[in-house]
Amino acid sequence: MENEMTLQFSAISENEALARMTLTFFIAALDPTLEEISEYKTIISEAATNAIIHGYAEDPAGVVEIRAKLDGREVTVSITDHGGGIADVNEAMQPMFTTKPEAERSGMGFTIMESFADHLEVQSRPGSGTTVTFKKTFSPVPEVCRTTG
Amino acid sequence: MEQMIEMLDEGIVSVRPMGELDHHSADEIRRTVSHLIYGGSISGIIWDLGNLQFMDSAGIGLILGRMRDLRAVEGGTVILNPSPTMRKMFEMSGLGDHLLDGLPTDAIDRLGGILHGK
Repeated sequence: MENEMTLQFSAISENEALARMTLTFFIAALDPTLEEISEYKTIISEAATNAIIHGYAEDPAGVVEIRAKLDGREVTVSITDHGGGIADVNEAMQPMFTTKPEAERSGMGFTIMESFADHLEVQSRPGSGTTVTFKKTFSPVPEVCRTTG
Repeated sequence: MEQMIEMLDEGIVSVRPMGELDHHSADEIRRTVSHLIYGGSISGIIWDLGNLQFMDSAGIGLILGRMRDLRAVEGGTVILNPSPTMRKMFEMSGLGDHLLDGLPTDAIDRLGGILHGK
């Protein structure tokens, strides 16, 4: 199956759920397992939340853009903000690293994203924003689960 | 977000969040539970996640934050019935020792043991 979509939304925390729901509908036809869906939703949620609170500091004027592409059973998703950017991406990706401990950010976001995605890439420039791109392939639907007609 | 907070015996509180726990919804639970801890009446928390449909790292931050609050009263924490995906996240975050699959009474027994130094 081939398909493409783009979603844009304001950098407010209510839209974390919107991003998860929309991107879940996008892959629903692939009949993924519950665990695959929840891992995929978690990656979207982490990246969208980062864009909203780190990229734009929850400024509603900020726009987060998510582009997704489906190729067979592989989905490629990129989450982009044009906000503050990350000075040192390697440091930001270390487990437990956070610039917002007071906001109870655990610093586990990138570790979790890397673990749940098949491939993850972070491009960032201070002052111009961040794009997180990941790929995930969903396992084939077992023969016995396929419905006919 | 919808949540059930229930005071059990011996200062143990059971927190049962429902629906989806993310950065947006974590704040409300944090306020309620922190309030109880600072009130001085809590010695242990059971995070009963059996009815939670989704959680991201905001849930990790929420639980780690309350563990920090509880340190002052040497309280204990049990994370009950997380989904397989949540379990992976807790294990990555070093919270594997706090996970338990079972009944709420099992969680109470575990906490009772921790609190009484058994």
